[in-house]
Amino acid sequence: MTAMTPSGDFKTTYRADTTIFPTVTSRNFAIVGIVLLLLCPTFMDRYWLSILIQIGYLSIAALGLNILVGFTGQISIGHAAFFGFGAFASAWFSNSFGVPVFFAVPLAGLLTTAVGMIFGLPAARLKGLYLAIATLAAQFIIEDFLARAEWFTGGVAGTMAEPFSIFGFVFNTDTRYFYVVLAYMVVMYVLATNLMRSRDGRALVAVRDHYLSAEMMGINLTKYRTMSFGISSFYAGIGGALYAHYLQFVSVESVTILFSIQFLGMIIIGGLGSIMGSLMGTVFMVMLPEMMTTITQALSGSSIDLALGLQDNIAFLREMAIGLVIILFLIFEPDGLAHRWKQIKAYWKLYPFSH
Amino acid sequence: MNTSLLLQLLINGVIVGALYGVVAMSFVLIYKASQVVNFAQGEFLLIGAWVCWWLLTTWQIPFIWGFLLTLAFMLIFGVALQVIVLRPMIGEPIISVIMVTIGLATFFQALMKWMFGVFAQPFPPIFERSTINLLGLQVQTVYIMSLLISIVIMVGFGWFFKFSRMGLAMRATAFNQQVAQSLGISVRQVFAMSWAISAMVSAVAGIVVGVVNGVSSALSFFGIKVFPAVILGGLDSIVGAVLGGLIVGLLENFAHYIDSQYLHWGNMYQVAPFYVLIIILMIKPYGLFGTKDIERV
Amino acid sequence: MKLKLVLAASAAAVALSTPALAQEIPVGHLADYSGATSDIGVPFGQGVADAVAYLNSQGGVNGKKIDMDTVDYGYQVPRAVSQYKKWSGGDKVAAIQGWGTADTEALITFVARDEIPYFSGSYAGALTDPNGKGERSTKAAPYNFFYGPSYSDALRAMLMWAAEDWKAKGGQGAPKYVHMGANHPYPNAPKEAGEELAKELGFEVLPAVQFALTPGDYTAQCLTLKDSGANYAYLGNTAGSNISVLKACDTVGADVQFLGNVWGMGEDAMKAVGSAADGVVFPVRTGAVWGDEAPGMQTVQAISQSSSQPQDYRSVHYITGICSAYYMAEAMAWADQNGGVTGPNIKEGMYQKKDWVPAGLEGVCLPSTWTAEDHRGTTTVNLYRARVNGPTEGAVAELMSSDAMNLEKVTTIDVPRKPEWLGW
Repeated sequence: MTAMTPSGDFKTTYRADTTIFPTVTSRNFAIVGIVLLLLCPTFMDRYWLSILIQIGYLSIAALGLNILVGFTGQISIGHAAFFGFGAFASAWFSNSFGVPVFFAVPLAGLLTTAVGMIFGLPAARLKGLYLAIATLAAQFIIEDFLARAEWFTGGVAGTMAEPFSIFGFVFNTDTRYFYVVLAYMVVMYVLATNLMRSRDGRALVAVRDHYLSAEMMGINLTKYRTMSFGISSFYAGIGGALYAHYLQFVSVESVTILFSIQFLGMIIIGGLGSIMGSLMGTVFMVMLPEMMTTITQALSGSSIDLALGLQDNIAFLREMAIGLVIILFLIFEPDGLAHRWKQIKAYWKLYPFSH
Repeated sequence: MNTSLLLQLLINGVIVGALYGVVAMSFVLIYKASQVVNFAQGEFLLIGAWVCWWLLTTWQIPFIWGFLLTLAFMLIFGVALQVIVLRPMIGEPIISVIMVTIGLATFFQALMKWMFGVFAQPFPPIFERSTINLLGLQVQTVYIMSLLISIVIMVGFGWFFKFSRMGLAMRATAFNQQVAQSLGISVRQVFAMSWAISAMVSAVAGIVVGVVNGVSSALSFFGIKVFPAVILGGLDSIVGAVLGGLIVGLLENFAHYIDSQYLHWGNMYQVAPFYVLIIILMIKPYGLFGTKDIERV
Repeated sequence: MKLKLVLAASAAAVALSTPALAQEIPVGHLADYSGATSDIGVPFGQGVADAVAYLNSQGGVNGKKIDMDTVDYGYQVPRAVSQYKKWSGGDKVAAIQGWGTADTEALITFVARDEIPYFSGSYAGALTDPNGKGERSTKAAPYNFFYGPSYSDALRAMLMWAAEDWKAKGGQGAPKYVHMGANHPYPNAPKEAGEELAKELGFEVLPAVQFALTPGDYTAQCLTLKDSGANYAYLGNTAGSNISVLKACDTVGADVQFLGNVWGMGEDAMKAVGSAADGVVFPVRTGAVWGDEAPGMQTVQAISQSSSQPQDYRSVHYITGICSAYYMAEAMAWADQNGGVTGPNIKEGMYQKKDWVPAGLEGVCLPSTWTAEDHRGTTTVNLYRARVNGPTEGAVAELMSSDAMNLEKVTTIDVPRKPEWLGW
């Protein structure tokens, strides 16, 4: 499916071909979308607001993973470990050094980047399966480290995190925090889109598509693979830091392998190598357990519920659903929701001549 | 230096390691035959053990029949899994294949919890005497049995690949799928059979562990221990996998010894194999005995 | 026309039902039905839920129904905290029935800020100091309550018993004590308190042995335990993993007197472990176990019978859950008559009586006292010994009645209410 541009919209320079928004309309749509989101707190209740905030910080981390997996072709089964690291780092900066949270969040992102690069350096030599196994090991090692490093994480008991604040103004309600997350989300997504139209972004894609050819074209493999790990860790760190200051408590229990798998699920469902796909996948992954809860509640007391014990086993049903959607998407929709969205758009654009 | 404790721990390491070896072997079998990295290997143990437990406790049938029925079930299960889930994935990038097996692992782990609960369930007693003495270490009879079963399985595998027609077909497929196909080997059949055999062998390991410790979701952790084992032993060598499993078993218990006597950190037992794994991969990116793929543009 | 009528009628119905809704007391209930501690989280959670349902069927708290929202958080702290955020914002709950140590300790500051009384299933010593004045306490926990002896006090009682037991058995030299459990806030809670008292009592304290909260193969740990020559070992985990340890240690032949914690042993665990559980000493928090004669047991029977999931045997954890819910309800009743069911009033309600037992549960819950300075409800610890006399196949009720298993009372120990032990 090629990108469809309206007739008469001919690109005459490379510059014009690599703008963030392909058409004026798409830019306007993006702006309208953001404005609509800005108005959300005025008409949404707490429940929906908390879901939007969750989507916000998770989608930032998911985008990071997509840059690593979808754009650079490096698999990572340890993304939650970096997410958790960022959360602890931000709490650590603000608790131990009195850094205002406003600055602690980006600092946490940078520290996570450094850790990601340390793991990324040896990972740059590994490929496919071996990389998957190495990142799996990293997941367990970081988890163990976080449970043990009391000076940093408060050990297994976890640590409190200050609410987000700047110049004495505290973002301690969901309504206020929503704007913090939204601002970060917009910035991080624009940054990623921007990266992908630069030389570095194209180099990452080249490494994914055929690393030998990329190397022959003068792309430094080690540099770009390590860089990709760094960028993805930065996104994970920012997402984790935002999570820490939202929940105001961080525990090593949020750094499980299942969480890492959930991140992978988000980008597979959304679409590997698609920026908007990362967001769509996150929305799907966040809504899935909520929908399952609603369905089981609706069925509560009915014979199906009594026979299968749905209500009592909702936790397992959610896990099963995560596994199942990953499998189903990989078999039936390997390009993810982003691809399906494009097809729907194309269908209406070409209507009634769509094939 | 506490030699008697160290010796006992190392014997324990061999017993557990032999089981890791069996699981690693069935992991390598799938990888060799169908180039699929199976992250759901541990769930095969889990499913096998639960099915057997269910047959024995709910239907009260003798152990041997329950055992055979479980094997039959795993045969069908393995083939079905390959045909329904893995066959459509042929030709997809390695990331997708890995993710499908991760999805399977997540799904089956939760399904087992849903169906059988989260408590460890004990198997009905199978042997008259539950423990025997081995070099000063009280060892459960089932563990000795498991060691024997492991050796029998390993020898069986050796024979299977050296002499049987199916085994030779599998080796041919592992060597080169296209050539194998042109020689009249049904590659599809080989794929399905490799999953079936792998599932059955893993189930045996699962039942053994279940009899010893009770059946619980902890069984699926065996599937994760496979990775250090195959990185140590090489992904494409069945003998290497067995050795790797033994080394991981010994390593764990040795780490526990160091930990309990000197460090007092607590969980080196669990993490040590992963440190070793990372160190090996840093030095040799294709594992200790792995062969480097030669790629052409 | 018809539609309008229906709309008007439903609007009227909503308007009429609103005052009725205001008569309900919203309560949050965090339970672990699926996580690492669900083996005991299920009976305790059911006890709480059944007790509240029964109270409601009997007219509620002074005619007000308790509207309890039960959520399974899978023993995951982050999920507990995010669930708490939902309960504490907007329409705030009046109280929360909680569960694990890690999440309860994480929420101490939050519940104190939001003034929501929190009745936990965790008995960590850190929850007993309302003002943070204890020498070893880390922070003030003004809104935390639990029914039963704290983990630290229970362990202290067992150590006191162990010191006597060692003398009675004619043991030579200093007995060796070891703490066993996962690296997790719950098993860690009484670790230092226990090790310090053990030293004072003349025990030799060995380095702690670690094992995870999940079932698994703990042969290596048991070999170390056996080799270390420990005489008394505290099992800090819940039954799920203790089962594995007891079995593995029985196999390698470790001759150790195990001391369970309140959640680490029970009828279900005894059945699962079989003969290896024989002899384990552990604290029981109630004055009576299922099948005992006590005035309050009738209420317990009635609650159990009205349950949506009927069973013919109820474990000690179920009965404790009932106590936890009833203490809360009685404090709510006082609050209702003294200015309304709000957090601070419920907290006051807990302080009103000395050595009290909720009405209807006499002889079941042990008399407890909470004061504004000290939230150690009780420091009296009943020690029981698990007895397994035969094969444990069959239902728990059968096994208990056929004497294949039973709970044998060992002794009652009054742990002194030392001020330096407050909050620790």
